[in-house]
Amino acid sequence: MADTPIPLEVRNITKRFGDTEVLKGLSLQAHKGDVITLIGASGSGKSTFLRCMNLLEQPDEGELIVHGEPIRFKQTRHGREPADWKQVVAMRAKLSMVFQSFNLWAHMTLLENVIEAPVHVLGKPKQEAIAHARELLERVGLAERAAYYPAQMSGGQQQRGAIARALAMDPEVMLFDEPTSALDPELVGDVLKVMRDLAKEGRTMIVVTHEMAFARDVSTQVIYLHQGQVEEAGPPDEVLGNPRSERLRQFLAPKH
Amino acid sequence: MIDLHGYGPRLAEGALITLELAVLSLILAVILGLLTASAKMSRSRLAHGIGTLYTTIIRGVPDLVLMMLLFFGGQIGINQVTDTLYDQFGIDLFINVNAFVAGVLTIGLIFGAYMGETFRGAFLAVDSGQIEAGRAYGMSHWLVFRRIRFPQMMRHAIPGLSNNWMVLLKTTALVSVIGLSDMVRVASEASKATREPFTFMIIVAAIYLLIASVSEWGFARLQKRYDVGYGEVK
Amino acid sequence: MESLMTWLEAQLADNSIFTLQTLGYYGEGLATTVQLVALSLIIGLVLAVPLAIGRGSTHRWLSLPIFLYCYVFRGTPLLIQLYLIYYGVVFVEGIQETWLWVILEEPFVPALIAFTLNTAAYTTEIFRGAIKATPRGEIEAARAYGMSRGLMLRRIVLPSAFRRALPAYGNEVIFMLHASAIASVVTIMDLTGAARFVYARYYAPFEAFLFVAAIYLCLTFAILYLFRTLERRLLAHLRPAGG
Repeated sequence: MADTPIPLEVRNITKRFGDTEVLKGLSLQAHKGDVITLIGASGSGKSTFLRCMNLLEQPDEGELIVHGEPIRFKQTRHGREPADWKQVVAMRAKLSMVFQSFNLWAHMTLLENVIEAPVHVLGKPKQEAIAHARELLERVGLAERAAYYPAQMSGGQQQRGAIARALAMDPEVMLFDEPTSALDPELVGDVLKVMRDLAKEGRTMIVVTHEMAFARDVSTQVIYLHQGQVEEAGPPDEVLGNPRSERLRQFLAPKH
Repeated sequence: MIDLHGYGPRLAEGALITLELAVLSLILAVILGLLTASAKMSRSRLAHGIGTLYTTIIRGVPDLVLMMLLFFGGQIGINQVTDTLYDQFGIDLFINVNAFVAGVLTIGLIFGAYMGETFRGAFLAVDSGQIEAGRAYGMSHWLVFRRIRFPQMMRHAIPGLSNNWMVLLKTTALVSVIGLSDMVRVASEASKATREPFTFMIIVAAIYLLIASVSEWGFARLQKRYDVGYGEVK
Repeated sequence: MESLMTWLEAQLADNSIFTLQTLGYYGEGLATTVQLVALSLIIGLVLAVPLAIGRGSTHRWLSLPIFLYCYVFRGTPLLIQLYLIYYGVVFVEGIQETWLWVILEEPFVPALIAFTLNTAAYTTEIFRGAIKATPRGEIEAARAYGMSRGLMLRRIVLPSAFRRALPAYGNEVIFMLHASAIASVVTIMDLTGAARFVYARYYAPFEAFLFVAAIYLCLTFAILYLFRTLERRLLAHLRPAGG
């Protein structure tokens, strides 16, 4: 399987907001089954980096290759933009994102949330999508919440629901943007458990997180970002167990 | 029983014209309003400029003046066009500006500007995370609009929509001035002929209040439908 | 002055519609519109304050009639209210023989009555909303300092309610200006009346109505500017410090 295309590769991404350069040439390769965690202080650019991967933010420079297919860009009056939005739409359908603030669609029930994109984006038959959605909700422990609206559920339930929504797309890569940061501490465990299970079954995941235990136990690679640059990267026991830079050591030191 | 001096059937026809006029104008206004809101939120300077000019002018000039401009001016404008067609190409065309059409166009045009503001505010009130989630799942612009932006926007738009409809309904009375036989016109003719203005004007006022009350009820139900999923818990 | 008029006359010499005479019609129309709108707004404002207070009363015999008055006048077209009062007055039997007829004969008075009653109803609702929105803490503080109901209303509730009502009242003023165009329907030579006259005389709808539309637009901007200045002055305390 050596010639299997890499699900997601980004090369030399840069991004500026006004005059500040927030990403200074970042690259990453996600092979099948990789769990890559991005860590760093707030403002280090880790969320922006993740959002560049599915083009919710437009990188100013750099390449994005999804399953061997490079995304084409063009230069416009407003900056660099994808040349073909159809290509982007198809690419996004392969990468599911889980957001910090869940972003479940408020006017739909949980079940409707989960089947929405499979039915309307992938064109899956509705009955099939519903059956699949029920399985997924069962897996994240929300089978009996299918008919609830997001506002009727706790944050932890909403986030597990959002993960079910992401899984329903059968994504090649799952992007997690600080999935537990908006949760009350007692709800974090359930969400992390679901994510650990996903990692175990070999899902390709890229996770922006502050949960160091999760990064240590689950990831195949940890990337520590500082001011838009990679400060350290490598296997978790190396990066987290034996940090070379003073900055990372301080970052990892227990705060009290 | 109130003596309507035989004006009953005409009054009923007038009420129907009022209602038709109001509903058709509303449809036109909603379409124009959505277009205006998109124009004003668009990145294109030109579209933004046109949208702003439109809303500014409409909101700065009385309804009646706009209506007369369109009705009287429209006829002359069309005549000039048909005259040219005849002179240049020998096409003999006669288009009469119909008071009903002029009424729908003017009222639709006026309230399109107000609806534009309502919709713009409502679109901006939709949480950007909701839109982003749609885009992140590979939805096209149109799909995001149809499945997420529009249904969520409606929740915020209904109070303004309801308010605009109530004002629009009352504005239809102005078409009586340009000669359309809506219920106000019938009532005013009947008042003059029978010298009993109170009878007719109060009946017409009551019909307006009735339509307003029924619509208020309808909008409350619509609001409930679009409120689904919000505020049950918290 | 003399030279200005000759200059203007020279400017208008090759214009068949906008002669000094028609400009005079527009000028008189402007004066009539401004009088009609200003008078009805002032009287309406004076009526609205006690009505708004009464509307919030716990005595139903007081609040209910005011509610009904507001409901009817806000729920029906101003044109109907105008017709009702205009024809109502004209057709009342025997009125032509009384002294009242001297005032009522002019359509200006029925129009003024209709406009006043209409704007008073809208303004009452605006004020009522503003009074209801008075922060509870302010009322409690006034009570704690031993203010009587009347004193509290006069010193605390109304001054802050007026300020809160300002933006909505500005809209009402513009609404009244535009609504006043229907005065022309009962033969008053207001701005719109002048435009209709010029249109009928020269059969020039574009010139007649576009010109008057421009005047209304200017008036609207003037009112907007006025209220924005007022708001900046009176609502300064609501802005965050330093901002």
